[in-house]
Amino acid sequence: MKLNWLGAVVALGMMTGSALAQYPNKEIQGIIQWGAGGSTDVVMRAVTPHAEAVLGGKVVMQNVTGGVGAIGLNRVADAPADGYTLLMGAENPLLYKVMGLGQKDYSDFVPINLIARGIPIIVAKPDAPFNTFPEMLAHIKANPRSVKFGSTGPGGLPSVVTAMINNKAPMQIIAVPYDGDGPALTALMGGAIDVMPAVLGAAIENIKAGRMKAIAIFDTQANPALPNVKPVVETNPEFGAFLPWGPFFGVFAKKGTPDDVVAKLTAAYAAGVKHPDFVKLMDTRGFTIMNISGNEATSFLAKWQSNTAWLLQDAGVTKASPATFNIPRP
Amino acid sequence: MQAFSAFLIPILDLQLLSLVAIGTFAGIYIGAIPGLSVTMAVSILISFTFKWDVYPALSLMIGIFMGGVYGGSRTAILLNIPGAPAAIATALDGYPMAKRGEAGEAIGITTVMSFFGGFVGIIVLAVAAPLVSDFALRFQPRDYMLLAVLGILLVGSLSGDSLIKGVFAGALGILIGTVGLDPLTIADRFTFQLPELRGGISFIAVMIGMFGISEALMQLHDVNKAAIKQKISRIVPSWGTVRKYLPLSLQSSGIGVIIGALPGTGGDIAALMAYDHAKRVTKNPEVPFGEGAREGLVAPETANNAAVGGAFIPMMTLGIPGDAVTAIMIGALFIHGLNPGPMLMIEKPDMFWFIVGALTMANCFMLLFGLTGIKTFVKIVEMPRSVLIPLIFLLSIVGAYAVNGSLTDVYWMLGFGVLGYFMKLYGYQLGPVILGVILSRLLDDNWRRAIISEQESLPMLLKGIVTSPLSLVLMVSVILIIAAKTPLWRRAFGTRG
Repeated sequence: MKLNWLGAVVALGMMTGSALAQYPNKEIQGIIQWGAGGSTDVVMRAVTPHAEAVLGGKVVMQNVTGGVGAIGLNRVADAPADGYTLLMGAENPLLYKVMGLGQKDYSDFVPINLIARGIPIIVAKPDAPFNTFPEMLAHIKANPRSVKFGSTGPGGLPSVVTAMINNKAPMQIIAVPYDGDGPALTALMGGAIDVMPAVLGAAIENIKAGRMKAIAIFDTQANPALPNVKPVVETNPEFGAFLPWGPFFGVFAKKGTPDDVVAKLTAAYAAGVKHPDFVKLMDTRGFTIMNISGNEATSFLAKWQSNTAWLLQDAGVTKASPATFNIPRP
Repeated sequence: MQAFSAFLIPILDLQLLSLVAIGTFAGIYIGAIPGLSVTMAVSILISFTFKWDVYPALSLMIGIFMGGVYGGSRTAILLNIPGAPAAIATALDGYPMAKRGEAGEAIGITTVMSFFGGFVGIIVLAVAAPLVSDFALRFQPRDYMLLAVLGILLVGSLSGDSLIKGVFAGALGILIGTVGLDPLTIADRFTFQLPELRGGISFIAVMIGMFGISEALMQLHDVNKAAIKQKISRIVPSWGTVRKYLPLSLQSSGIGVIIGALPGTGGDIAALMAYDHAKRVTKNPEVPFGEGAREGLVAPETANNAAVGGAFIPMMTLGIPGDAVTAIMIGALFIHGLNPGPMLMIEKPDMFWFIVGALTMANCFMLLFGLTGIKTFVKIVEMPRSVLIPLIFLLSIVGAYAVNGSLTDVYWMLGFGVLGYFMKLYGYQLGPVILGVILSRLLDDNWRRAIISEQESLPMLLKGIVTSPLSLVLMVSVILIIAAKTPLWRRAFGTRG
């Protein structure tokens, strides 16, 4: 009997010994940069179970919020580069340096998967006296300092879209800051603001219900989710220079994570993003699936950063020039 | 009618019914442990119930929500540590009751009143959801600002003997609330460039420290005194008691539903406002407020549970979260292939009635589980202090760590505990500090939004307030509350307000 026990212990020891060599052999921590219930949270919680199935391990997700996501990013950057702490983030870290929010961005991480990108759309309250993008610009020009745009603080999607418009057609508006696009869209429905540049998925249900109206999709082409809404380039082709542009979601590991671990995670998330349930979810929320990794992802990030940082620099909303951080001008 | 039959699904389906029950039971204990929040539990459940159908997943979440909001009162009454922000007002009179040996009765009243409030919330959700949500949408930044000012005036009812000390404590709370990256401009405020301060000071850590640790330190003064023997003869309040508080509980429920339905305010503010309301309308309480007045339990407990039904109103009608928990539930609905928004009620009305049904059952289970086991629970207060005090410390440290998994929060919690101890020692009430922290952002953000919207012109803001009926009512309430306390008013109207 005693011998049997001994055998079992040895066998167990051997099992764990061999398992140690294999990734993952314990729970992986997924740090979500943004709060529970937000877009990043929903996307990550929806894709990760599909990735877990391929990975054969458990990813425990935790929302570590604050500091425009910098707290969560630093949490992962401070953890060992062993693939057991992953960052589930959005586009914001690429602007941390120029906005003075931190010294780290995605160049300190390896992209596992850039999952999807959102399409910006300009929505207005239903009784706004304009229906198209040119009409909106004309109305703003005729009524300077009276049209209220919702914003989510410097560096957020509304501030970037507003900077794009200002770049081609300078306008005098009032920017009213909100905590996120959810509260701002609520304010739009209540009439507290007139116009809101938002991500399509956040506004689509309310557009369908007539609680707000779509002015233009800020993209190079129309979106199948809202086929009747014109893309901005159709009426104002000059904006094509900035587009396509949009917020995105991605899973990241700290730089220095072993290659085989990165490969395993990449394969798992690539399969997870392709899962039909997830694809359907992204379609209904109006997100465009990217599912890119490796060099393709790295160059996407670099291009996004250079475009957006310089756009904000030219609009005068940055705290430090992108040149300081060797971000090349596009 | 077809859709309405969905109301019966969570009642007749045994599996769903038991999930609601399990959720409610778990919720009560999650809510009771400070630091473990319903928000956290529900967001973990999203991953956990990922592969389930939408009905079972929602049943569990709704149970946890209902149970959790109620559960926060347990530790508030027994240990003076509110399990959740919504239970802060409950501690103000609940804990003094426990100190007098009436913990059982306090929990009994709390349970029955939570049930009552929950019920009112559900009824309003069922019959008047579109109406209430349209009303809630009308709140402009200036109205939220005025609401916050109304809230700040509660300092008057929370400051005990010295108003000056109360105002000081309230101002300290507002200051604590402003620390961190300003969400509107991402400018650093009182962060001294420290990354730990950029996320702000965790409000839960402040709350646990101020209530839990400071109380434990106070009890060290008489660590050898025998614990108070708890009377456990009367737990379930008599019908007469319930009837006596009926008008107050109806009014508090009304406050709870409306404040809960407003996106941007939740059960914590609702409970404090209801507490203040109770203090205003109760002319002769049997026991003074702050020393164990039953009215001081009835009002916040009905209000915070009524706020649950309220929070579902904008979620179901507009796809807008009424609070942090419904925000996560909206995410859960998305993941389960539904599109929460204004069309949900039209395309999938059965979902609405299912949620109403599940809430109803959760409310009933809350009453059932709440009233059982009270006798065992009150034994906690009877424990010798030498056991109880270390236990409070342990619970507070675990709680503060659990909120964000951050050690910094534990240090904040301990620091505020010590500060709270000295404040208590010198006769400062801690209620206003917490009130200040809760209202800080609401007041600051909306004041700035309101003035920015009006081209940064004060006269235009005032014009906006006077020309909007809603803002005007709020503004007049603010003025009346202040004016009612002036000697001139008292002389003119002869009230001893």
